[in-house]
Amino acid sequence: MRRTGRNSLLVLGDKYRIYILLVVVFAFMSLFAPRFFTIPNFTAILNAIALNATAAIGFTVVMICGQLDLSIGSVITFSGVLTLGLQPVLGFAGAIAMAVAGGIIVGLFNGVLVAKAKINSFIVTLGTMTILRGAVYQFSGGNSISVSNDQAFAISDFLGKNLLPLVTPRILIMLVLVVVLELVLRRTRAGRNFYMVGGNRNTAWLAGINTDRSLIVAFVLSGVMAAIAGIVSVLVSTSATLNLGENSLMYVISATIIGGTAMSGGKGGVARSIVAIVSLEMLYTGIILFGLGNEVKIFCAGLILAYVVLYEAYAVYRHEKTLGQRPELMKELAERASAAKVKKSIPS
Amino acid sequence: MSDQNKAGVTGGADTRNLRTGTFSSIMNTAGVYGMAVLFLLLGVLLQATGVIGNFLSAQNMLNIVDAAALVGIVAVGMAFVTYSGNFADMSAPTTMAVTGYICIALLRYGFAVAIIGALAVGLIIGLLNGFVVGRFKANPIIWTLAVNYMTMGVIRLVWVNKQIYPDMEGSRPVAVALFDSVYRLRFFNLIGLPLVILLVLVVIGQFVLTRTSFGVKLKMTGSSLRAAKLSGIAVERAIVVSFILAAFTATVAGLAVTSLARVGAWYNGAGYDFKAVTAIVIGGMTLAGGRGTILGVLGGSLIIAIINNIMTLIGINTFSQDMVRGAIFIAVVGINALSLRRMGRDDA
Repeated sequence: MRRTGRNSLLVLGDKYRIYILLVVVFAFMSLFAPRFFTIPNFTAILNAIALNATAAIGFTVVMICGQLDLSIGSVITFSGVLTLGLQPVLGFAGAIAMAVAGGIIVGLFNGVLVAKAKINSFIVTLGTMTILRGAVYQFSGGNSISVSNDQAFAISDFLGKNLLPLVTPRILIMLVLVVVLELVLRRTRAGRNFYMVGGNRNTAWLAGINTDRSLIVAFVLSGVMAAIAGIVSVLVSTSATLNLGENSLMYVISATIIGGTAMSGGKGGVARSIVAIVSLEMLYTGIILFGLGNEVKIFCAGLILAYVVLYEAYAVYRHEKTLGQRPELMKELAERASAAKVKKSIPS
Repeated sequence: MSDQNKAGVTGGADTRNLRTGTFSSIMNTAGVYGMAVLFLLLGVLLQATGVIGNFLSAQNMLNIVDAAALVGIVAVGMAFVTYSGNFADMSAPTTMAVTGYICIALLRYGFAVAIIGALAVGLIIGLLNGFVVGRFKANPIIWTLAVNYMTMGVIRLVWVNKQIYPDMEGSRPVAVALFDSVYRLRFFNLIGLPLVILLVLVVIGQFVLTRTSFGVKLKMTGSSLRAAKLSGIAVERAIVVSFILAAFTATVAGLAVTSLARVGAWYNGAGYDFKAVTAIVIGGMTLAGGRGTILGVLGGSLIIAIINNIMTLIGINTFSQDMVRGAIFIAVVGINALSLRRMGRDDA
């Protein structure tokens, strides 16, 4: 793991940077952004978070395995459209089951191709992303789907009702999933296996871990979580637009990396991604509250993603550049050489 | 056989056995064109059975070729990125869109200034991509996706979701007329300028890839980055150049799309990234890098255009066609991965 001692403050900063970011963004926005520190605004932020955070849970697990799932945005839209589109035929329970099954099938498809056929994960998921995008248009005919019956409104009201101040069932679902996944990752053997597979797939295999199964399970989790995110979102809004998950991929990737999950795998955690999502969402909401408009928000989101990817790549680049170098040894040699010089200079 | 042995014996600076000879490359790409002919026959068959009308009409053939030209131009440049082992340049869509915007906005300063301005912006994007991916080894797909989002942000920020038209006030009439007509130019009333550009690019690209030292270096870079680096090849420079080439051809195609549609819009390049990647893999270029030919990519573009044309004639809308494209993409990549594994390379 990480070296401590030297630069311990830096290491500490690195470890807790996500919480520092959260506090800084929260403090800044509360002080300066108009109407930020209000209950309606917090409710709005939490609702916006619920969609991306749920999707980020599964995405983080995939990234811990050292893989990427670019299809989450499409899965969100697909499951949303499927839920409301099938609802008149199958009823809500059936439609939701079908949408979750859809998520599972997509995840299974991705996972099997990545684990068994050994195709690069972002190539496979790029393909599934495109297939699903086409499927959404084929299924919906290019229009957004909305339902307006009493049952739909009842479900929507229930999911958006305040159980406690700010705590709605929608948020609770997200929180429960986060806690469960975090515990699974930390406390169970299956959870630790994800880290082993991400750290080094060959070593994990040699250590007797069923790496293929871990990978497939990770992708299935990602598919299911994205599906749940989409389903809950459309149940609250009672309509499924075709750009529902359009920007989710961008938000989720940047949040997961900011949260400290390494793109190379083997490191990170679900809760940290969620904290990053909260920070980013507060930042974006602040941008809107400052009156800068949606354009600036999207521009900032792109900029943040680019910065984060660059930062991550740069960190790996630095690490590899200094790999095998031993500064202590070099220092000692230099000291020895200078000492020898001094010794030599004394007799003469 | 004996020729190869001789090259092996003389060794040293002789790179003959690294190069793909013209004859063998033609033999390798013959399969792609065979597939194109098969799809043509499928079209003819569908017309004969009455499923689709006028597939074989001259106008429809022209449509196919024109569509292939636009996809092909993007694909030829992107093929260099694929060849260098960096999968794809996902920033192509917004590169196309933003250069279209720039060109139209600069039309008031004259035609040449507009084209040069657009090319300059394209080159900057390519340079940025190449630098970050080449030097810091950022994940090429994620990085170029981030650049794609960022460029989209710039478009939204600067033009606030507005489309702009060449004949705005302030543009020079001569420049506008030139910009409108240049891509509509048809030699002998038949061969459009995009097709001519494509054929020129293919000839140059094939020459560069097989007959120049840059091509050989790129092949080594794509085959094994470490080996190439250790043998003294400036891999960073090779990757930067390949991304610049991709951005250059994306710019050329972007100007074509903008000119043909007579509008600068954010959606101008939408879908071209995936179409180009699919054309590249169908053309026999493996995503693992270092394998394939530009001639094959030309064949791949033709196949994509024929398939799209048939689907459009059947009555599948453009967005739903994504389903078929994605499935074909995954199938081809899967088959490639399998055959590469038989050859002993465990990734694709």
